[in-house]
This record gives sequence, C-alpha cells and structure tokens, in this order.
Amino acid sequence: MSILYDEGQQAIATESRRVLDARMDKARLLKLLEETGSHDQPFWDTAVEQGWTALAIPEEFGGLGLGLVELGLVAQAAGAATSGAPFLTAGYGLSSALLQGGSDDLKSAWLPRLAAGEVTAAIAFAEGNAILPASPSVTYVDGKLTGTKPAVVGGAKADVALVWAKGPNGPVLAVAELAGAARNPLSSYDNTRLHADLAFSGTPATLVAEGAAAQALALDALARMAVVTAHEQVGGAEALLTIARDYAVTRKAFGQLIGAFQSIKHRISEMYGLVEIARANCIHAAASEGQSNFLIAAADARISATEAYDTNARDCMQIHGGIGVTWELGLHLHMRRARSLAAEQGNLLFWEDVLVNQLTGEAA
Amino acid sequence: MIEIEDFRQKARAFLETMAPKYGRAAREGNTMEQDLALGREYMAARYDAGFGGINWSPDVGGQGLSNMHKIAYDAEEMQYGMPVQFFGISLGMPVPILMAYCQDKAFVKERVLKALRGEEIWCQLFSEPSGGSDLAALRTRVEPDGNGWRMNGQKIWTSWAQYCDYGVIVTRSDPTVEKHKGLTYFWLDMKAPGVDVRPIKLAGGDSHVNEVFFDDVRLEDEQRLGPVGGGFGVALHTLMIERYIATDSAGFGPHLDEFVKLAQGTEINGKPAIEDGRVRSAIARNHAMRAGLDSITKRAFLMMQAGMQPGPEGSLQKLVAVRSRQKLSEMAMDLKGNESFAFDPHAYVKTDWGASWLNAPTGRIAGGSDEVLLNTIAEKILGLPQDHRPDKGVPFNQIPA
Repeated sequence: MSILYDEGQQAIATESRRVLDARMDKARLLKLLEETGSHDQPFWDTAVEQGWTALAIPEEFGGLGLGLVELGLVAQAAGAATSGAPFLTAGYGLSSALLQGGSDDLKSAWLPRLAAGEVTAAIAFAEGNAILPASPSVTYVDGKLTGTKPAVVGGAKADVALVWAKGPNGPVLAVAELAGAARNPLSSYDNTRLHADLAFSGTPATLVAEGAAAQALALDALARMAVVTAHEQVGGAEALLTIARDYAVTRKAFGQLIGAFQSIKHRISEMYGLVEIARANCIHAAASEGQSNFLIAAADARISATEAYDTNARDCMQIHGGIGVTWELGLHLHMRRARSLAAEQGNLLFWEDVLVNQLTGEAA
Repeated sequence: MIEIEDFRQKARAFLETMAPKYGRAAREGNTMEQDLALGREYMAARYDAGFGGINWSPDVGGQGLSNMHKIAYDAEEMQYGMPVQFFGISLGMPVPILMAYCQDKAFVKERVLKALRGEEIWCQLFSEPSGGSDLAALRTRVEPDGNGWRMNGQKIWTSWAQYCDYGVIVTRSDPTVEKHKGLTYFWLDMKAPGVDVRPIKLAGGDSHVNEVFFDDVRLEDEQRLGPVGGGFGVALHTLMIERYIATDSAGFGPHLDEFVKLAQGTEINGKPAIEDGRVRSAIARNHAMRAGLDSITKRAFLMMQAGMQPGPEGSLQKLVAVRSRQKLSEMAMDLKGNESFAFDPHAYVKTDWGASWLNAPTGRIAGGSDEVLLNTIAEKILGLPQDHRPDKGVPFNQIPA
C-alpha cells in the first residue's frame, strides 16, 4: 500500500471532515461531559449512516472491503471533532481479531452486524495499568467468563466484548454478549468514552484463541487499534494547532498580535512539528498493515501521536491564557480526550517497551 | 530516462567499487589536505562514471536526469562516507547560480566542468559579523570604479574558503535605500589581489570555516549576477535551489542502532542498560521521531516522482534531527562513563558520540539556526506575524546601530 493517498482516500478524508463539521455541536459535547454513561448518539448515527462501521470489513460480510488507511482517515476527522463515542475503534478491534483468528461461525455471527452498525463492541483487555495482564483476574472456564474487568472503554453501552481472560491452558481471547454481564458505569473525566466496570459471573462466551495464539492475536488487535487511535490523536492535535494559530493571529497584547511574540510563535511551530511527524508515522503504519514491520510502525505512530496530542492540548490552552481554561470555550474537551486516548490501547509505557523489544529482538 | 531504482542499483555498484579507496575506512587518519586530494580524485572518478551533475543539463556537462536521481545518489553515497564535504556547497549553490545568471556561456561551461571534476571549488560568501541570520544587514560595500566595481568589507563562516578558487558574494551597492533593496550579487576570483582568507578554528577543533577580508578588490561588471540592487532576490534564489536535498534523520550524527548496541553492551548499577526505563524511553522516542522524519522524506520523494509539489513539512528535518542528536549524544556519553573522556578531534561524527556531541551546536546554527527555522515555519507555513522589526522600511544607512 502506498504512503500517498489516492483520490478515493482523499475523498473519504474530505467528506468525513465535512460531515462532522456540519453535525458536531460543542454545546452538546460539553453537556455530555457531566453525564455518566451517555454518548453522543448523533455522532454514532452519522458513523453508521456514512458506512464508517463497514469500512474495514470485507464485502463478503457486508462491509466495504477497505482497510486501515481509510478507517484512519475517518478516525482523524473524528479526533478533530472530539467525537462522542468509542465504538469505531473497538468495533475494528473486534472485527480484525475475528478476521485474523476467529471461526467461520464467529465471523458470520458478528461481522455483518458490526458492519451494519447494528451492534457495538468493547475491548476488555486491560486491568489496572496493564493492557495485557500476564495473569488476568477474569477467568474463562467451560465457555463461561467470571470476574471483573475494570473501567472498560465503551463498557457502559456496548453489546459485545472481546475479552482477555485466563483459561485452563494460558490466556484466552473470548467473545461475550454483554447482556449477560453486569455493568457499573463510572463517572470519568471523559464521560462519552462510556467507561464501565464489567462484571462477569458465569457469562457465556465463545473462544476465539488461546495460549500463544491468543497472545499474538491480542497484540495484533491492539496494534491495529493503536494505529486507528493514533490517527484520532493526530486529528485532535491538528485541530489544536489550528485553534492556537487562529487565536494567535486575532488576540492582541502589548500593542501587537500575540503571534508576533517568539514565545508564542515558536511554541506553535513546535506543535506543527509534532503533528507532521505523527501524521507521517500514521500514514506509514496504516500502509504497513499486514507486513512484518507493522508492529514497529504502529508503535512509532502511537508514541508520536500520543506525544503530539498531549503536548498540543497543554500548549494550546497555555497560549489562550485565561479564556483557555473556561468551560465554555471547550479546549478541555481536547485535553480530556488527549488523556483518555493516551491510556486506551496501551499507554506510552507499554508501546515504548513493545518498540524497544522489537528493535532488540526480544519477545514482546 | 533511467528508472530511479535501476539508477540507485547502478550507483550502489559504482560506490562499492570506490569504497575501498575513498570510503570512510580509507580516510581514517587523513589530514584535511590529504582528504581534499583524495576528494578531488573521487570527484573526477565520479564524473567519469556518469554520476557528476546528475540533474544538470547535458549542455553544461551534466547527466540530464531528474532531481530525484540526484537525491537517490546522494543518499547512497552518504552511506559510504566519501570525501565529498569540500564540494557540497560548491556544486549545491554557487555553481548553479553561475549557470542561471552568468551571460558568458563559454566561461560557465569551463567552470562547471572543473567544479564537477573537483578541480575547482566555489564558496558562498553570505554571512557577515553583523548579519548571520539577518542576511540583508550585510555591510560589505561595493562602489563604482570606472566600468567595474571596487569592494571592501568582510565575510565570515565561509565554508572551505581556504581551498576555494571562486565564490559568489552578496554586497551592498546602495546604503541609502531599504536594506533588502540596496544589494548586488557577483561572482568573484578568490585568488584576486585584496582577498585575504583566514581559517577559524571551531569548538570541535577543525577549521572548515573562514573569515574572508576584502581590501579594494576589483570586480568587473561582467562578474555581476542579476541586476544592480537585485542581489537579495538572487540570494533567495540561491537558498531555494536545493529545497529537497538528501536528509538524515540521525541529524548527521550516529544511527540509532549504534545507541541500541551501546545500551546492549553496557550496565547501569549492575543491570543491563537496555533494560533501564530511561534508556528504553530515549530509544523509543528517538525511533518514533526519526521514523516520522524518514516517512516525511519518503513521501516527499514519492510526490516529486508523481510530479507533485511536496508539502512544507520537509523543513522540519534539520531542526528536529540535529537537536535530538545532541541530547542523544549526551546520553550515550553518560552510558560510556569514563570511557567517553578519550577524544579524537578527527573522529567521524556519524560513528563517534563525542564528536557528534561536540559538533552538534554547529549543526544547530549552520544553515539556519533553530530559532530562524522556527520563525520560518511560523511565518511561511502557519501564517503567523513577523517579529517586530525596527529596521523595516528604513534606509540602511539610517538604521540605529
């Protein structure tokens, strides 16, 4: 896959940005911040209507047969808009895991419904700060899950989850319908991520993979989702760059535009550098899907995009001064999202280790 | 036209045959003069093999290939550490400007051939003690003298001037107008009476830059390149010629693999350094940054191949790469501990952490300081306002000193 976008890909980028610009509403997102367990339904309706849920699913399962490049471009637009639901990334995580390692029954049971947007997914891997705990507290025995996954992204609303659990013969990946689990939604700093504890008590689940195969499949799904998230982070970081730049050419202090002060303009130039480096890594990672260097490329994208979004959130608010920290201006939507995305699909600590292990030839 | 990848293969095959005599290992321990002599030989061999003036017109002795062919060759050549440093500026800026502006085509043809073969070297005389980043503040003065000009003044930081035969120079021809408007551009014989070149020893111990003094140096009007008062435009043209040159995401310092190897062979408090979180984080962050720069370069290359104009993000390369090389070099020296004290002033900056560290400040200043590059990104790419400039719109001779 080329690292130059073709016309179709450019059209997806432009169109997704246009649609979200027209439909997203900051006031609505600000209100949702104060509600536990609510997401932005208009965003999700748009995602389904536009076919974004179907993008990376093969045509034989009702999808559009495109891939990570196209999904990444949509995620970038969603990141710029601080979109109000986490299901695109998680749905891709589940569908790609099933495509890589699921049975035909699992694929035909879930992929068409994920493509059509009829069901939403969550990825229940993490416990504490471990994204793939070596010995998960949730167990999988005789087709049943028991135990609690804490603060699962999307957990408050998702219909189905891909769960990382401890089986009789090592780790397992299993698919569970969440109607059979108890949800405890948490009030979080970024409530539309729908964080909820998921308590399984003999919840029926279907095995996808176990042992080393489960480990490899889980890491592959994480890497793919990390690339989608990295695009979302680049979208957010770029939006903050634009907001900071626009403010610096409008706001005056000491008789001149603040953008004429080097302390401001150099900071904004650095923001630009972070965005472009992360964007280049994202494009490269998406185009490397399925290749031997994919894990390294995904780690590069994830690390640089996390740094870009966190830094740009911090610096954009600083450049604004007092107005930047008001509820109404809403820069905190990005600040909150920068952090919540930084922690999803493995944080910097995780990806730095994955990358160095790959570079030194150690097992991940 | 030969496909890029075929050309790259051909170049690599040629470079393999050259490496034993001219490559990094063969140059070890050379004095600058020995290295220059070796460099001249290599340039002649390179020209004879059809790799000189790759993207220049056959009319002047070039190969008539594209800019991409040249970048591909340069990227391959960089791997071998050939003694080409003396000729980079010469062929990069002054000679192309001569080709673009000099009316005496026979003279141009002769100079180009000799420059390509390494027989003659050209320098670029821009910076002055009173104006490095602020090029248009230069003070070197030309005054009409019969049918030509008489020049007095001083340039500084002129690379390789001590070995140069010719140079291109920007001068002030009219101090009564705004600073950008009173400049005129010439070519110059560096051996002419009144030209005095004095090498400057830099912090790392070498002396590749110079001060150049001019005492009543005679210039013929035929040496003028561009109109009287149009020198700033020609200077900008000079700086724009090679916007996309071969870059190095290692900031012209050691490759990250060298750092990983060092960490693998070192302990911190009895534990392998490669397992230390601080070391791992530095490796990961640098890898992500360099991979991003490499991807930017690759994308620019593909865009040029497809006939498109690459994005402005290429301007990040030197800024980001060199300053991170500086910090990584410090950390590498920490890992080496007492072993890092031993220093060889002739060590190669791409393999030696001490040399990389000590020469990094030069890299962050030469060719546009970090601060000027950040200003350029802010103003030219992001549309932010210019700094406060009290000299704007003021005749040069009325600018407060």
